[in-house]
Amino acid sequence: MTDSIFALIAEELGRIATDKGESLPTLTADSRFLNGDLPIDSLDLATLLVVLEQRTGQDPFREGFRQFTTVGELAALYTVPA
Amino acid sequence: MIVRRPDWLHPAFRLIEGEDILGWPELAALPGPVDGVVHANRASRVLAALATAEAAGQGLLLARGAADPEGWQPGQGFTVTLESSGTTGMPKRLCHDFARLCGRLRGVTEDGARWLLTYDPGAFAGLQVMLTAAAAGALLVAVPGNGGSGGTGAGTVAALAQAARRHAVTHVSGTPSFWRAFLMALGDADLSLAAVTLGGEAADQPLLDRLAERFPHARLRHIYASTEAGALFAVSDGRAGFPAAWLDDAPDGLALRIVDGVLEVRSPRAAPAMADKEGWLSTGDLVERQGNRVLFTGRLDGLVNVGGVKVSPEAVERRLLSVDGVADAMVVAVASPITGHLLTATIVMAPGADESAVRAGLRAATADLPPAARPRALSFADHIPLSPAGKKSRKGPE
Repeated sequence: MTDSIFALIAEELGRIATDKGESLPTLTADSRFLNGDLPIDSLDLATLLVVLEQRTGQDPFREGFRQFTTVGELAALYTVPA
Repeated sequence: MIVRRPDWLHPAFRLIEGEDILGWPELAALPGPVDGVVHANRASRVLAALATAEAAGQGLLLARGAADPEGWQPGQGFTVTLESSGTTGMPKRLCHDFARLCGRLRGVTEDGARWLLTYDPGAFAGLQVMLTAAAAGALLVAVPGNGGSGGTGAGTVAALAQAARRHAVTHVSGTPSFWRAFLMALGDADLSLAAVTLGGEAADQPLLDRLAERFPHARLRHIYASTEAGALFAVSDGRAGFPAAWLDDAPDGLALRIVDGVLEVRSPRAAPAMADKEGWLSTGDLVERQGNRVLFTGRLDGLVNVGGVKVSPEAVERRLLSVDGVADAMVVAVASPITGHLLTATIVMAPGADESAVRAGLRAATADLPPAARPRALSFADHIPLSPAGKKSRKGPE
């Protein structure tokens, strides 16, 4: 499991939730983004992806969409920095 | 309130709204519009108000909370006025002739069709779905509280995905941004669709491919419409854009041409006042011919589509520039695999400005905009990079 990416996702999701006055439930690799588990909407998810690109320099979606539903699946799309 | 069942509502039509199931008798019992205005946040309310206003021969405003309906005059004769989700300045109100609205609907009577309403019931596209289902005597599944930014709000897509499975819907029409979120919310849950329709923004090839794979038995169509000319054509070959052959021979009595990179149409269904002497109308959409295909590349007016909402990076940037402590600002639309585009902002602070005060000022300056038009992912820099021509480079990396 890509722990550092997971931590980054947790940090940025927390920030996005706080900005909206929401609090984030405990995040696990199985937390699902848009099925109601988390207090975020598709604009928030789009924001998360932009911020992850800014912070990691990686855009896993450059070549087209890759399916992900959970936090763990998204984390797996990024390679861990050495 | 006793109103005769309108001709456009088939006796077999049923609306499932949350836990309620409503046929015509239940809809007829709902309160009608007040002074010609109905708060268009529920499909049931809108359908009931349409029937009442038609019976009374009165104009109807489907209010979406974008502007104060106070002082709106219904006028004589049955018309339907819709509020567009304006992102800059005043929301636009467009008055439609109801017969023309219904006339646009194709005869799609399919046995056992179960539609999911993914659009706001007060939006043009939402009205089209409701009237289609009503005329066909189909089942329409709506999730109350749906609304705002094209049905992609928090929990909304999740609720729609849940309702879609629970009622085994067969027909779903939504924006590309809706579909991206819907596919995610659905995960690998079982849902078999007969018809998948995209509209409201340009459909991209990766999304069309994913939909064809996820719903292999569905008829897959994307609809092209423009604010000025209404619904123009549907593309059903599963490919983005439209066939270049249509520039010579377009379907449905349409004529299409490209002038200076902008798509122009001549349509028997367009409002004549908008067109030039020969009937040509600019769509404002930039297109590019690639081989045997014409692809959409953006808007002439610089508007970008964020989750189905057209927003102006320039207009948002002007607001940010007016905030105390901001020396310079640049708002850029970056491509997003979720919402099509997303606005991001780079801010240069004036010397001595306080970052938290500036952040609060920036937030306040965009608080009245729809969420899609607010810049996300703010970053601070010591200067804004300019293009060789000395301009801010508006469009983000694709």
